[in-house]
Amino acid sequence: MEATRANDTGQTVGGSLMERSNFASEIPIFEIPGGVHPEEHKTRSNQADIRTLSLPDELIINIKGQAGNRSIPVVEVGDTVLKGQMIAECDGIFSSYQHAPTSGTIVAIEDRTIAHPSGLSDQCIIIQPDGKDKWCQLTPVRDFDQLSREEMLATIFESGIVGLGGASFPAHIKLKRESGIHTLIINAAECEPYITCDDRLLREHSREVLKGAEVISKLYSDIDIVVGIEDNKPSAIDALVSARKELGFSNIKIAVVPTKYPSGGEKQLIQIITGKEVPHGKLPADLGLVMHNVGTCFAIYETFYLGKPLIQRLVTLTGDACKEPGNYWVPFGTPVSHIINQTHAESPKRIIMGGPMMGYELPSTEVGIVKATNCIIMSAEGELGFDNPTLPCIRCGACMDACPASLLPQQLYWHAQADEFDKAEEYDLFDCIECGACAYVCPSHIPLVQYYRYAKSSIKNNRIEKTKAEKARQRHEARQERLERVKREKAERHRKAAEARKKAAQKAGKKDEKKAAVQAALERVKAKKKAQENKDDNKPATGEEK
Amino acid sequence: MSVLSSPFAKKPNTVTQLMLWVVLATLPGVFALVFFFGVGVIVNLFIACSTALITESIILKLRQRPVAPILWDGSAFVTAWLLALALPPLLPWWMTVLGTSFAIVFAKHVYGGLGNNIFNPAMVGYVLLLISFPLEMTTWLPPQELAAHPVGVVETVGIIFSGQGSNTATIDMLKQGVDGYTMATPLDHIKTQLAQGYRLPEAETAPIIKGLSGVGWQWVNLGFLVGGLVLMFKKVIGWQIPIGVLLGMGLISLPLFFANSDEYLFPMFHGFAGATMLGAFFIATDPVTASTTPKGRWIFGLGIGAITVLIRTFGGYPDAIAFAVLLMNMAVPMIDYYTKPRTYGHARNAKESS
Repeated sequence: MEATRANDTGQTVGGSLMERSNFASEIPIFEIPGGVHPEEHKTRSNQADIRTLSLPDELIINIKGQAGNRSIPVVEVGDTVLKGQMIAECDGIFSSYQHAPTSGTIVAIEDRTIAHPSGLSDQCIIIQPDGKDKWCQLTPVRDFDQLSREEMLATIFESGIVGLGGASFPAHIKLKRESGIHTLIINAAECEPYITCDDRLLREHSREVLKGAEVISKLYSDIDIVVGIEDNKPSAIDALVSARKELGFSNIKIAVVPTKYPSGGEKQLIQIITGKEVPHGKLPADLGLVMHNVGTCFAIYETFYLGKPLIQRLVTLTGDACKEPGNYWVPFGTPVSHIINQTHAESPKRIIMGGPMMGYELPSTEVGIVKATNCIIMSAEGELGFDNPTLPCIRCGACMDACPASLLPQQLYWHAQADEFDKAEEYDLFDCIECGACAYVCPSHIPLVQYYRYAKSSIKNNRIEKTKAEKARQRHEARQERLERVKREKAERHRKAAEARKKAAQKAGKKDEKKAAVQAALERVKAKKKAQENKDDNKPATGEEK
Repeated sequence: MSVLSSPFAKKPNTVTQLMLWVVLATLPGVFALVFFFGVGVIVNLFIACSTALITESIILKLRQRPVAPILWDGSAFVTAWLLALALPPLLPWWMTVLGTSFAIVFAKHVYGGLGNNIFNPAMVGYVLLLISFPLEMTTWLPPQELAAHPVGVVETVGIIFSGQGSNTATIDMLKQGVDGYTMATPLDHIKTQLAQGYRLPEAETAPIIKGLSGVGWQWVNLGFLVGGLVLMFKKVIGWQIPIGVLLGMGLISLPLFFANSDEYLFPMFHGFAGATMLGAFFIATDPVTASTTPKGRWIFGLGIGAITVLIRTFGGYPDAIAFAVLLMNMAVPMIDYYTKPRTYGHARNAKESS
């Protein structure tokens, strides 16, 4: 329904022109409503080849390093581990295995600050690298054609692979549904400013990524593959095209989508590529679609072809304070402080994990990289996060025009700040994907997304409280009933006892009557006898004298 | 709330900039007003804006709010600016002061300040004056080119502040135009003539009626149209409301005109007469008091256009933008409620019935 908004700031990025691809999309693409064009800042980090960092003194591996449940450590302090060795197993299906990113010693399993905006601590496994970086036994499964679907899924599961787009949702769960899936969409849109790890990965490892995608497609007996990529990555598109040709994969189509944030959101990319919306409360799988990020495809390639579990990822290290911006292979658990040192960042003002639109500021630099970390922005003074005073909402509707979900952010804000959560839910609060486009355009500088997060968490808490209260009420009622019952039973017992006593008493009473009657009879007899005797005494020798 | 939350990137636009754009965009219309109706327009702007800033400062002090940052948002200034543009050029100064301060105090701060008011403050001030001082509020000079006695700066200031110009010209003398002809605006003139039993073609022979709507007025409206289009393309205002207003006027006036062109004005006349363009692009688009949903903005605009023509045609006032805006302001909460757009992934025609 919305026309494309003017590409007002899309062309210029950090003073340089961002090249646009002329490669025509191979499938027709569709519009999404809303969206914004923030400055891209991508040329800074997408120029250099992928590099590696030196190993830090210690790796801080957070057991809550993925969406879902914490992992459970299976190593103990003092253990020596090899690179790729499993160190934590998953807790249930909605969780992930974790592996040692390098060889070394487990020096501690303790609470450390984790990668979370709150600055919370959680259990971490601390590995001291031995510097040898020695792999454990790797067992590639190249002939996965021989494997059953379950075995393939198990391979992915046991390699600890999660979605590497930034949400770190365990990959095997997304791949579980088999029936009705007809298209695999590879998400290479990478619409967040600054982040270029997917771009760089495609430029240098297109073939591996496509091979990984092919593995996924095998899971569904060779379904179609569509790569969705924004037109600001011409080199990556070229690399994809030649890799496809080289590999002879004919079932892969490349959808070049216009650069607009948030085209890379799962629901948004589906809408752009298929013109369809994922119905409320449904999953992409209900439309026959499954979507994976290019990084995830690469990880799946490494698992099947090289036998490597997921122990590192490509991270964009960038920001004005970063002296050597680029994309680096970063082992999980690498402390951010080590990254700052290695890239010679000069006293960064703010350190953002993730992109500027959806990322969060790190509370500490002693935090380990997790599977979801796609970018670390080391910002200089005045680069990110303006200290503009917040003004009242004037209902200008700029947020509404920017919202890709066609929400009314101004009304959501109104209700959220007034704690009218039921109203906020009426305005589909939970359909907000927290992309931040609304807050980006807000002329009053209202931190809108923060209000929605607040409202969402309040509603969730209220629900939990409500369930708790309901349970407590049920418990209370059950107790009340039990007490009543006990009381009733007691009363009943008493009543019965009393009755029994009464009966007994009555019985006893009857016996007494008899007794009394007997007694009375005996008395009478006695009295008669006595009377007789007295008669005899008063009539002296009458009978005997005769 | 902490500001250290995503998104960390911001589009560099502020409320102040939006307000500045609105003021800048009125300039073509302001020039036309000054050109045809004299410097009284500028004097009014000056009186209204200073009143607004002073009133706003006092109220903020009383409400114990930070004065400078809120004053800097420019909203009070814009309210006064737009109100002044709607006032007759020779309105006594104290009426301007009264209208402006009433707008700031009662239409804005009584509701909680910027963003919380339900009625367009400028129009509240305007309607207060219109109802209280109907004569003064409908006393417009004839356009300069028709005036028998062109009004100079000194005279204008004199009349506004003391009721008398330097050459002892009174407003009644100045009002005399061609043929001893009066102060009425084209819309006013036609209304009066029709009421007196004349037919429209006869009424339209008056010298002030010329071109699209009338001498001067067509240019004033064209000026505001140009500025308004700039705002629209700069995305400072949405396009639904102004287009809706004009469309709403057309939808009512066109059938009327075809039914009886002796009595009902041609739609184009409505479009370029009175406060039409100022109203459509600058007044009705006040985001705070307008509908905020895409569909709602249409309804809001169409409503204003329709009500304006209805009052102009059948009501007691020659122009009616102010009433139409305030009436539709009242309807906004309901309009917004029933025009919630369909959220991503929700059924296409599921009407929320809750």
